[in-house]
Amino acid sequence: MAVLDHERQRDKVAGEASNAPDEALSVEARGENLLAICFTAMASPCEVLLPSTTAPAAALELGAVVAQEAWRVEKKFSRYRSDSVTAWIHENRGTAIEVDRETASLIDFACRCFELSGGLFDVTSGVLRYAWKFDGSDRIPEPAAVERLLPRVGFKKLQWRSPRLLLPDGMELDFGGIGKEYAVDRAYDSLAVRCSDPFLINFGGDLRANRPPPHGPWQVGIERPDTDRRATMILDLQHGALATSGDSRRFLLKDGVRYGHILDPRTGWPIPDSPRSVTVAASSCTEAGLLSTLALLQGARAREFLEEHGVRYWLLQ
Amino acid sequence: MTFKQVSILCLLSITAISSGCASMGVKPWQRDVLAREDMRFDANPLDAAIDDHMYFSKEASSGGRSFAGGGCGCN
Amino acid sequence: MQLRFETRRAKAADTRRQLMAASCALLGAAAARGEEARMAPADSGLLEDWSVDSALAYYHEDGRIQAIEPVVNIAKLFADGQALNFNVTFDSLTGSSPNGALTSRSAQTFASPSGKSSHAYTTAPGQLPVDPHYQDDRIAVAGTWALPLTRVDQLSVGAKLSDEHDFFSVTVDASIAHDFNEKNTTLSFGISEEFDSLQPIGGAPVAGSDYALFEKTGHKSKNGVGALLGVTQVVTRNWLFEFNLSVDRFKGYLNDPYKITSIIDSAGNTTGYEFESRPDQRTRKSAYWENRVALGRQISTGLALRYMRDDWGVRSDTAQLHLRWSFSNLDRYVEPTFRWYRQTAANFYTPFILSTETRNTPYEASDSRLGAFHALTYGLKYAQKLPGLGGREESELSLRVEYYQQTFDERTATPAALQGLDLYPGLKAVLVQVGWRF
Repeated sequence: MAVLDHERQRDKVAGEASNAPDEALSVEARGENLLAICFTAMASPCEVLLPSTTAPAAALELGAVVAQEAWRVEKKFSRYRSDSVTAWIHENRGTAIEVDRETASLIDFACRCFELSGGLFDVTSGVLRYAWKFDGSDRIPEPAAVERLLPRVGFKKLQWRSPRLLLPDGMELDFGGIGKEYAVDRAYDSLAVRCSDPFLINFGGDLRANRPPPHGPWQVGIERPDTDRRATMILDLQHGALATSGDSRRFLLKDGVRYGHILDPRTGWPIPDSPRSVTVAASSCTEAGLLSTLALLQGARAREFLEEHGVRYWLLQ
Repeated sequence: MTFKQVSILCLLSITAISSGCASMGVKPWQRDVLAREDMRFDANPLDAAIDDHMYFSKEASSGGRSFAGGGCGCN
Repeated sequence: MQLRFETRRAKAADTRRQLMAASCALLGAAAARGEEARMAPADSGLLEDWSVDSALAYYHEDGRIQAIEPVVNIAKLFADGQALNFNVTFDSLTGSSPNGALTSRSAQTFASPSGKSSHAYTTAPGQLPVDPHYQDDRIAVAGTWALPLTRVDQLSVGAKLSDEHDFFSVTVDASIAHDFNEKNTTLSFGISEEFDSLQPIGGAPVAGSDYALFEKTGHKSKNGVGALLGVTQVVTRNWLFEFNLSVDRFKGYLNDPYKITSIIDSAGNTTGYEFESRPDQRTRKSAYWENRVALGRQISTGLALRYMRDDWGVRSDTAQLHLRWSFSNLDRYVEPTFRWYRQTAANFYTPFILSTETRNTPYEASDSRLGAFHALTYGLKYAQKLPGLGGREESELSLRVEYYQQTFDERTATPAALQGLDLYPGLKAVLVQVGWRF
């Protein structure tokens, strides 16, 4: 059984991840029918689930394919790494640069999402973290501090015509919101060409499976945050992807008002009345991740948004 | 006023304006309009060169925007 | 309420489809690339680009000179910020050019500068004397190299060569620019040096000598040195300006070897001619201020003012205004322009010499370009963006038309005998230019 661990999801605040990730793979049995190849990537526990009939050597090899892709995407796009494309883009702010095709397609995607979400989904909103530190305390920032950062947010302010990018000084690009889901899909494609067995790839809760194993559908457990861990909801997954957006410990609480960590890039303040977590099912992890993020960005309208879009979802207020 | 007085006055004003006013100017992320092609001083360099050549050969003044030398025998 | 939900649902379904399409595009592109482990951004780099700007201009003066001028400019920007610029200009002039002599009530005969009898010409009474065999072809090449020294400093050096049958010129220049105030202010300083060699047809005439004697000497030369100090300042998000102070000094043979001045008697009859005689030094100073203002997404305007004075007594004022109006999808624009110019005469400018007067200056010239006049230019440009060729994104095709008119400001008292003659006809010219940039 795969487990979605909300507490470890998106804990990219643990940015002290060193430039050399711990590139180790381990194999363990998972119940009677499955084995799991485990590794760490993007500050999350990652695993590839295969039928237990797979030979251990073959399983390790397949696991390595997935892990390599995860580490490749992490090294390339992580804003914490000094050798990433993101760091290089930031070093060359204010100059017109030409990005490689993969980065260009991600920026094109971010641009499309920005348009389709009416500006709510904005990969330039990362600078707001300089004002907002979601550590569970009651220290909300001064409005002036947020005001000062707002001019540095806005996808429209950068000049993008694939593959040419001009990011103005002071602005930042943050692929964190789509990076993990993108990595799941890339790893899925890499594995699918090599493996005709059923498999499930799970990067810290963002997962995708090609088809169900012989003994029955994949059983995915969603933990309810803030409550007793034992109250876990089990989903049956045949194939497709699941992605979850949520806040767990990343919030601030002041005067009884909870400030979730999903910020509205247009105001710089958290979206009020956001659900605690939203899990969405879709055919790709990127699409699922995007829908769950967009749902959270709707605040009180999250449920309505998901209903209107006809997606399968699980929402936690 | 003589040319010398005018130019000293202009230089002083420009220096005072430029150095004194941190409020004059824009933040790096506000340069979107300034980056437009039509906001560059050299937006149409060939038009300017052809015009400059025409005026150089018909008038007593040249330059201002750049060096005043003619480089041709038409004046 | 239900109906609104259904409409929203339909809209949401559409958005959902578009999101799915976007995700497929992202992942499909990745699969198509079949990317393997690729760590460093190997195919990324600072923008490296080259561009070509070309134009063909046709210039036509009413009853005088016409010229064709093709120009090509190639610019290349390197990944490390260096830039190279190469320019080739060719111009070919033919037609009639005023020789400086005054209109007279009698016919006048002139020798051509070469002295060839076949090229001698006669001017009818009451007409402005012009040499109808004027012909000149010129080729010029220029190059500039810009090198960023630091993130805020740039060095630029350039050289230009120009060659025509009677004139050869070499110019070199260098300038540095420094940005500060978060690149809101740029200070530049530049110097230039020009060396010109003149080989007038038939030789350079002795200055001020009698035209009839046709005393010609050999080649001549002149040198020029120039300096420019400039400030570019961003004022607001929509307004920036440039202010330059420049000075230049030329020394050497500064006469126009083909121009003569009429000597007339008190009855207005032309009794002879002299070759012109200008000082052998000229210093010019100018102040220039140019603004660019954006008035909206589709409109921008520019205003430039220039004041110039030199030690020959010429002072000039120039004001130039343009407005660019882009059509709504920004693929076309029209740009009307207007220019106003006025200059005073050089202190040794004289449209004619009165034989009865004693001369108090050794210098004289009747070249109308040193006289007092004002000029107006009206222009209109239309440009259209087109898809580019051969992998280039875009190109721009343009058509520009300008009408230039000079009107003389008469300052010299006209002798009674010459009243009624149009002594200062001024100038009317049209410029038509097509341009192609890609």
